[in-house]
Amino acid sequence: MSDTQQPGSGTHGDSHADHDHGAEGPGYETPQAAIEESEPEKTAYVMGLYTGTDVDAPDFVAVVDIDPDSGDYGEVVDRVEMPNRGDELHHFGWNACSSSCHVGGLERRHLLVPGQRSSRIHVIDTAERRRPELAEVIEPDEVFDHDLSAPHTVHCIPDGEILISMLGDADGDLPGGFLSVNDEFEVQGRWDPPGEIEMNYDFWYQPRQNVMISSEWAAPKTYYPGFDLEDVEAGNYGQRLQVWDWEDGTVEQTLDLGEEGQLPLEVRFLHSPVSTHGYVGAALSSNVFHFAEDGGRYRAEKAIDVEAREHDDWDMPMPGLVTDLLVSMDDRYLFFSNWLHGDVRMYDVSDPANPRFVDRVWAGGHFGPRHPTGEDDRAVVGGPQMLQLSLDGERLYWTTSLFSSWDEQFYPEEGDRGSVMLKADVDPRHGQMELDEEFLVDFGGMPHGPARAHEIRWPDGDCTSDVWQ
Amino acid sequence: MNEDDAGDAEQPAGATRATLEWADGRTLSVEPQPDEPVLDAAERADAGLPYGCRHGACGTCTARLLDGDPESLDHRRPPRALKPRHLDAGYVLLCVAEARSDCRLRVGSDVLAETRPAPWRDAGDG
Repeated sequence: MSDTQQPGSGTHGDSHADHDHGAEGPGYETPQAAIEESEPEKTAYVMGLYTGTDVDAPDFVAVVDIDPDSGDYGEVVDRVEMPNRGDELHHFGWNACSSSCHVGGLERRHLLVPGQRSSRIHVIDTAERRRPELAEVIEPDEVFDHDLSAPHTVHCIPDGEILISMLGDADGDLPGGFLSVNDEFEVQGRWDPPGEIEMNYDFWYQPRQNVMISSEWAAPKTYYPGFDLEDVEAGNYGQRLQVWDWEDGTVEQTLDLGEEGQLPLEVRFLHSPVSTHGYVGAALSSNVFHFAEDGGRYRAEKAIDVEAREHDDWDMPMPGLVTDLLVSMDDRYLFFSNWLHGDVRMYDVSDPANPRFVDRVWAGGHFGPRHPTGEDDRAVVGGPQMLQLSLDGERLYWTTSLFSSWDEQFYPEEGDRGSVMLKADVDPRHGQMELDEEFLVDFGGMPHGPARAHEIRWPDGDCTSDVWQ
Repeated sequence: MNEDDAGDAEQPAGATRATLEWADGRTLSVEPQPDEPVLDAAERADAGLPYGCRHGACGTCTARLLDGDPESLDHRRPPRALKPRHLDAGYVLLCVAEARSDCRLRVGSDVLAETRPAPWRDAGDG
């Protein structure tokens, strides 16, 4: 069904129909409205996966209870299993967000959940927040028909349309592109002119500035099987940003970040619709780049350099591997994860081009404590990875898996013991964060066996999905 | 998991026998039909093998030929997840591999990991 139709009336007290956000459509009128009007998150949707292990079960969307007043606090209370094995659920997104907040009747209700390896796209109906259901499936052939594969980032775009970055062609080779899906969850086709780009990964659009910026990982056939130094030497990993004309869907500028910008992954604009500032984390080079418009052209410069560290088990300094980053809804703080080192950092970005380090926590990784929540708790066998922040900026959560094949190389225990979801309490007023030792969601105890956990979302919008016109 | 109890069973005409072997010693024989990927035959036998893209790009179903003529398996689509060094070492992608003659294969999620050892780690640390 279309989410512009009248929503069904939920029987659960936590249903979307009960939520009044002060605008006609989904989401919030402004980022500040999101902070003011949202309630503290009580439910998280988290990607859970078995792909790449010997567990004979499909991947799933986990429903995690994060209501501190609940008896199930910190537990996976429901799992929506996919109809097939082997998807590798990874990133996911909403059918609609604040970019459509003036479209009356449109709801933030359906999650689009792609399989990164399978190229199958699932539609999950979250009308009942604690009991989401699989609603529709777009089969891989419908995607391959447009010579695209490997769906990654899902962004709702204005008027109920959905745009998905695709990292490869139908063979898992280059070029990638973008897939357009309409509000009835029908594949519309390729959004970009064929050949406009080669590599693709994440993207964020800033519609009032008529700009979109996309990043680069590699061809699926390159990154799917695992990390290979040979591919670094061969130049098979990306190091560029594409600056798009949002309305025309064409690349206006290509920013080569150079050797210090290898593997530019997550792209985050500031939330304010008037801002042209944003960040991208270059995972392999372990640098954060700041980008902004300057005289009608975008420029990107290294703003944070994570120093590689000597480690007894490595014969070269270990990079931090900046695999995820996000900006708080009030645009005051940047958080990022060093997946290999094991720390999550917090920077003041009130002067966006000059981030100021304010605090960090250590949890797992190759340098952090193996039992960060206490010696009696289970070990954390990965590093901080996918981040999500409460809309009020006071609770930062993360999971520990990067990608099944890469986990196997850098954290081989993660497949056997499963991921965890952790949390830090953030004090935005004083620029401080502290690990919450009472919070640990254990994906090692799932019914079919230990599972990896990846991206996190809240039912009412979060710091990595909402965009304002 | 069905243990290998079909080792001496009569082979249907046209079928080949692929014996799957896991690191823990389990084995299972499956009989791919001509033009049928070994993975599909293994699924019919509920082998529970790992897989992902099913078109030769991702490598999740990587297996290694242990015994049999190197020509005993043909890839119906280019095995893009494997590099020449992997093909030379006998690695195959079961989602696009068709058996031409009987063979023995190491299977399981650990086989892909063999093809991409942890980078930079000191050899002494494994």
